[in-house]
Amino acid sequence: MKKNHFISICMVLLMAVVLVGLSATTSHAVIKISFWHAMSAKRMPAVNRIVDGFNSQNPDIKVEAQFSGKYKEVLGKAIAAARAGHPPDIVQVYEVGTQTMLDSGAIVPVFQIVKPGQIDWGDIITPIKDYYSVKGKLYSMPFNSSTSILYYNKDLFEKAGLDPNKPPTTFAEMARIGEQIVKSGAAPNALSFGWPDWQFEQMFTMHAQYYANYENGRYGRATKVNGNKAFGVKVVSAWTDWAKKGIFVYGGPEYSANKAFLAQKIAMLYQSTSSVASITKAAQFRVGTTFLPRLQGYPRGNNVIGGATLWVMKGHSQEKYDAIAKFFKYLARPEVAAQWHKDTGYFPSTNSAVKLLLDEGWFAQHPNHITAFLEILTGAKVPQSQGVRLGPFVAIRQAFKTALEKSVEGKLSPQAAMNEYATQANKLLKEYNQVFK
Amino acid sequence: MVSPAVIVVIVFLIIPSIQSLYLSFFRVSPFGNRKIFVAFSNFLDLLNPNYLNSFIVTLIFTLAVVLIGLSVCLALALAANQKISGIGIYRTALIWPYALSPAVAGTIWALVFDPSTGAFSYFISLLSGTMPNWRTNGDFAVLVITLAATWKMTGYNVIFFLSALQTIPLDLQEAGRIDGAGPWGRFWKITFPLLSPMTLFLLIMNTLYGFFEVFGLIDVMTEGGPARATEVLVYKLYYDGFISLKTGYASAQSIVLFAFVAGMTLLQFKFAKRWVFYQ
Repeated sequence: MKKNHFISICMVLLMAVVLVGLSATTSHAVIKISFWHAMSAKRMPAVNRIVDGFNSQNPDIKVEAQFSGKYKEVLGKAIAAARAGHPPDIVQVYEVGTQTMLDSGAIVPVFQIVKPGQIDWGDIITPIKDYYSVKGKLYSMPFNSSTSILYYNKDLFEKAGLDPNKPPTTFAEMARIGEQIVKSGAAPNALSFGWPDWQFEQMFTMHAQYYANYENGRYGRATKVNGNKAFGVKVVSAWTDWAKKGIFVYGGPEYSANKAFLAQKIAMLYQSTSSVASITKAAQFRVGTTFLPRLQGYPRGNNVIGGATLWVMKGHSQEKYDAIAKFFKYLARPEVAAQWHKDTGYFPSTNSAVKLLLDEGWFAQHPNHITAFLEILTGAKVPQSQGVRLGPFVAIRQAFKTALEKSVEGKLSPQAAMNEYATQANKLLKEYNQVFK
Repeated sequence: MVSPAVIVVIVFLIIPSIQSLYLSFFRVSPFGNRKIFVAFSNFLDLLNPNYLNSFIVTLIFTLAVVLIGLSVCLALALAANQKISGIGIYRTALIWPYALSPAVAGTIWALVFDPSTGAFSYFISLLSGTMPNWRTNGDFAVLVITLAATWKMTGYNVIFFLSALQTIPLDLQEAGRIDGAGPWGRFWKITFPLLSPMTLFLLIMNTLYGFFEVFGLIDVMTEGGPARATEVLVYKLYYDGFISLKTGYASAQSIVLFAFVAGMTLLQFKFAKRWVFYQ
């Protein structure tokens, strides 16, 4: 009996301690900020590292990072939540969702949230700032920006009798090198793409071509895509031709082609720079990286920014917005942005973070991490490469992906496939624009 | 005691259905902040080749899943109904796949059939010399999805067939044997007719499965590709509604899908009277 009493007294005491502890934390009135993101695999701990770092420095704020699926799922969920009246505070939206967010009426632009002088916008890397700015004002917080680079397997290059330090720089060289890799038996195929729809967009911006009219939808609402005109058809014809020769193998959406590259079934891969950390870590061979090959005879543009930014949703308290501004300021700190880059391969979004990495000698030790910077910072600044802004961009990408699949599979000629894509895309644009008239 | 059930039906079925019907006459912006009345234009849009393609894909796929699934599972259930040692292990093994979530099953199949690193692809390439790639070959993609979906449903079908088999009185079988019927004759004349109520139930459940629940597998494995080869109706609805953010168009699809599946189930019940034998 005595023993039982003792235990129950202990339990009561314990509960009292817990209750006191709980009330102590709640009385402090911690501001909770929900942050929905799409950073899977190795990117997830990198996000948590940032959030934990911020939370420990700001005991009165608690940013709660929540993985909510792929980019397209995160956007869909955020929309459903916003329509139901309970939007998250911060949501990570990929670049193709930019126009959707601008049209949503459900966001607060970041330039209104951050007080003047709180964050030095001039420090943000120019192509990133340009992409997400409307009339010179930044609408969403740059977070994970990337661009596409060419990854190649130096060991397979040697095996095929090629110079491992001479990756292809033009389409013609890609065809020649690819053929040698396949014919020599070094690998069953030579090349594949991650995000094939995005690679098509890269081709336009790299060669200073408009992807859609009205200056890629940045000057006015786009009504037509240019994919079925000479340039787009030329690109898809080249890719289809490579597929017929076994040089190119279609690798599926997003990151699914990485597996083939790591398994040495292909020797080259067009992929986002965000894979640079995971690929160099997992590869059992020497990885080289370089700029995407160009078509000759076209003007020089620049690679386009991909990845995502952080959007702040409408309908929350000023107190929350002040906390979010603090969080964004933390994100822009050189050491935070630099660590994010090291963990993932995404651009650190500020110039001072790049300088920090340079001073640390990071790039000297990790040369593959600098490729994307050099690519994006050595391009020409032309309106064609500032990023495409289309309302129904997600659906347009799907239409393109379907058309590309039909073309590389030989079901349709490149021209017919591109016509089918353009017809669908233009219809989508027309329907979208009617709603926003 | 009826009222709670009625309330659940009204809140979760009737009201959303009415909302879908209402939205199907509008074109809605992604965030729902703008909408314009478009009358029947969303329904007329269903006549485009992509939707018709999705319709045909769904029919072929569901038919394959139902036919292969039911016949293979009946055979497995017959085998698992025998009195041999260790039958418990065999039965557990047969039921296992049903315990997996569609996402996990999809991941497993995607790994096994991965065009570059999958074990199954490797064996096929050893046998045929070519690597089948369901990322580009639509027919092969449909085949892989059909196999995965059928496999996933095996446990469910086997359990129900097995339970039905065990309710068949042994004296009927015995009587058949005494009258000189062989195993084949006994199966078709005694077992199969007595199984028919269960077969009808499984026919309906598998049809619904083929129409709706296969979503998880497709989302994980093919996302409807390549070139829309595996884009079944329910996946298209999801994609158009939640990814492409065309709420009005997706609502119109949901109305058509609802009407079609309801009609098909009614037809199955109607024809069932001719061949289902209730004891």
